[in-house]
Amino acid sequence: MQENKVLLRATDIDKQFGITHAVDHVSIDFYSHEIHALIGENGSGKSTFTNMLTGIYTLGGGSFALENKTIQVKNQVSANRLGIAIIVQEMGTLSGLTVAENIFLGEEDPFIHNGVKNTAAMNKKAQDLLDSYGFSRIRANAIIDTYNFEDRKLVEIVKSTYFDPKVLVVDETTTALNHSGRVELFKHMRRLRDLGSCVIFISHDLDEVLEMSDRVSVLRDGEYIDTVNAKDVTTDDLKKLMVGRELGEHYYRTDYGEKIPEEVAMKVENVSVGNEIHNISFELHKGEILGIGGLSECGMHEVGKACFGASFDRTGSVTLADGTQINDINTAINHSIAYASKDRDNESLLINDSIMDNITLPSMRDMGKVLSIKKLHEFADKFAKEMSTKMVNVDQFVSELSGGNKQKVVLARWIGKGSDILILDSPTRGIDIKVKADIYALMDKMRKEGKSILMISEELPELMGMSDRILIMKEGEISGEFLRDPQITDTALIEKMI
Amino acid sequence: MAGKKIDLDNPRLRAALPLIGFLFMIVLFTILTKGAIITPNNLQLQLSQMYMLMIAAIGVFFIITMGCLDFSQGSLMGVACIACCYFSNKNLFLGIIMGILVGAAIGAINGWLHVFMQIPSFIVTMSTQFLFRGVVQFCTTKAPVMANISMMKLANMPFMMTVTVICLVVAFFFFRYTSFGANLKAIGASERGARFAGIKVTKTKFLVYVLAGVITGFAAFINAIKVLSVTSTGGNQLETQILIGLVLGGMPISGGAKVRFSNIVIGVLMYRFMATGLVMVGLTTQMQQLIQGIVFVVMVTLFSDRKSLAVIK
Repeated sequence: MQENKVLLRATDIDKQFGITHAVDHVSIDFYSHEIHALIGENGSGKSTFTNMLTGIYTLGGGSFALENKTIQVKNQVSANRLGIAIIVQEMGTLSGLTVAENIFLGEEDPFIHNGVKNTAAMNKKAQDLLDSYGFSRIRANAIIDTYNFEDRKLVEIVKSTYFDPKVLVVDETTTALNHSGRVELFKHMRRLRDLGSCVIFISHDLDEVLEMSDRVSVLRDGEYIDTVNAKDVTTDDLKKLMVGRELGEHYYRTDYGEKIPEEVAMKVENVSVGNEIHNISFELHKGEILGIGGLSECGMHEVGKACFGASFDRTGSVTLADGTQINDINTAINHSIAYASKDRDNESLLINDSIMDNITLPSMRDMGKVLSIKKLHEFADKFAKEMSTKMVNVDQFVSELSGGNKQKVVLARWIGKGSDILILDSPTRGIDIKVKADIYALMDKMRKEGKSILMISEELPELMGMSDRILIMKEGEISGEFLRDPQITDTALIEKMI
Repeated sequence: MAGKKIDLDNPRLRAALPLIGFLFMIVLFTILTKGAIITPNNLQLQLSQMYMLMIAAIGVFFIITMGCLDFSQGSLMGVACIACCYFSNKNLFLGIIMGILVGAAIGAINGWLHVFMQIPSFIVTMSTQFLFRGVVQFCTTKAPVMANISMMKLANMPFMMTVTVICLVVAFFFFRYTSFGANLKAIGASERGARFAGIKVTKTKFLVYVLAGVITGFAAFINAIKVLSVTSTGGNQLETQILIGLVLGGMPISGGAKVRFSNIVIGVLMYRFMATGLVMVGLTTQMQQLIQGIVFVVMVTLFSDRKSLAVIK
């Protein structure tokens, strides 16, 4: 390894969202010539930290110094000019623009002469770049929307590395890429390192982290824990640092070989929704946790919506044990179906409303025509407390809660409603480990009470740990089914996904 | 960060601020008019100008709570008032009912265009404002539409006051003690979230537009009692007065969970008081408009619920 000097120094970086302390006075030194991994559980503050570095969020406190000069980053363009680039977790390209326009977003000036943009020159430059990266099949003058998620990620790689940034943040990009895409990404990460840059690499895949990085910094609940040399540690060491304790044995369900009850609670037949899912059929039994897994674009999230009557243009049927057809949300709610969406802030909750309103909305119809504010208050309070939601009182707005507590409000709503069939889409997404354990315990308890749970999840350990049965989906269809078994491996599931 | 930041999200402060503003306005105009504004005669006059505005504001209040807007209320009032006056010559009750029906019909047109044709409510009601202003002018080209002259005997304070209070109490009851109000607020807070909580969003939105038409159609009857005839400018600028009133009362213009029913009452009283005060101080019409405009901008800025980030519809 070459001689290291501090390239980027983060001092006392801080950020709060309402009462949530997302990043708590974090100081880390990043060296030149290194790939520096940043790891931690969901919600540990990794993305918030790098988002402040790259100007996506405003700095809550502290300062970043690049080559000993304190930097003021206003937005992503100003970050780019300073030599800091990011490849984000979600879609980082803008729809409706061409590939070239995306690559040179905010840097159009060199192509503008006397106020007129030379599109041809821009396209040519972009195509040259794409060719040099080996992505010739992506055309610079095409509208970005003509490419799929993965190709758009490749465009993002070009966009954020062509100018050889001093600092490159790679935020959970690898999950969106297939093998060859990853190889390309890793190649450019290494190239930048060899040029003397620093690559800040965020990933959940610890093997990948150890393979790629020189040093690893660990965050937990927004706090800085430690920085270690990648070659001195194992993935187990990293896990311990991330969680702060040895993972208990009773995190997931421990029972195996229990018989799934025969009684069917919900029957899904030949359900299709547009291009998202095709001819999905399955049965959800009473007292069972049925897991659905797959890559995030495989259509499994739409299955949850379809079963809740929330899909537009659905064909096929969703039938309950008593013969009721579920075609709209109201029928679903009235027949004891609950739904927690993956999009917690927009679908599961009204975040700009009080905890009380959020919990009581679907249950109001059972409380008579004339409502008593006091009763509503007591109702909300009871179920919020039952879920041990961390809050000031039920009049507090949901927007002020952390991800985990928001999810508790969602669950409180449906437990209050007394739903028997729960469709939980990514129930622990972005939730810290303690609340996660609470939610798993609750799911197990409800299962034993004879409730049926349809759990849609992108996390394999969760699927394997909690489900009685697992359905794997691929390109909108069910591609495999597994029964609960300690012998199931990640690889077996992944094989069915891709 | 120098100085202490006033937290306008604090519900108590939000509730108190319009009241403080109202008191301040009373004191200010009392001093400026040397007490003339609070003489019993003057107060009674102000009240008589308030009834119609107060009732019509209820419907718009519901609409804004859902995060929608309605700029057509003035023209709607004009057309409904024409219907009410015209038919009151045959039968008083027929007049009331026809006013309400016409209001409901126009509300239904607004609601249909916005909800089912999916055009932003702002654009829809701007268009129907012009459309129905045209209808009002067409119907009054030759002569104003006269109402049954016997209606004049209803123009007394006890009757008007009773009707207004009944309207407010009924509306308050439904807003606060039935799921109606909670549903409207939920739609205003997040339409998508409301849909997933089992609220029939499209149906509710459409019906609230019809309801607002019904309410303003009824307010047209109150207006007819007072003016006894409709000219081409009947109901002109009512929508602006309602909007300024609601905002003065502390209503966030994007609706949602922070809306309170008291916004209507305080806001409309405050607006009437300010409008009268500006006249009595002796300002020209232009100056009055200027000052009202400034107050409006300041209040909207103060009470905007920026955190919700929702696009104004």
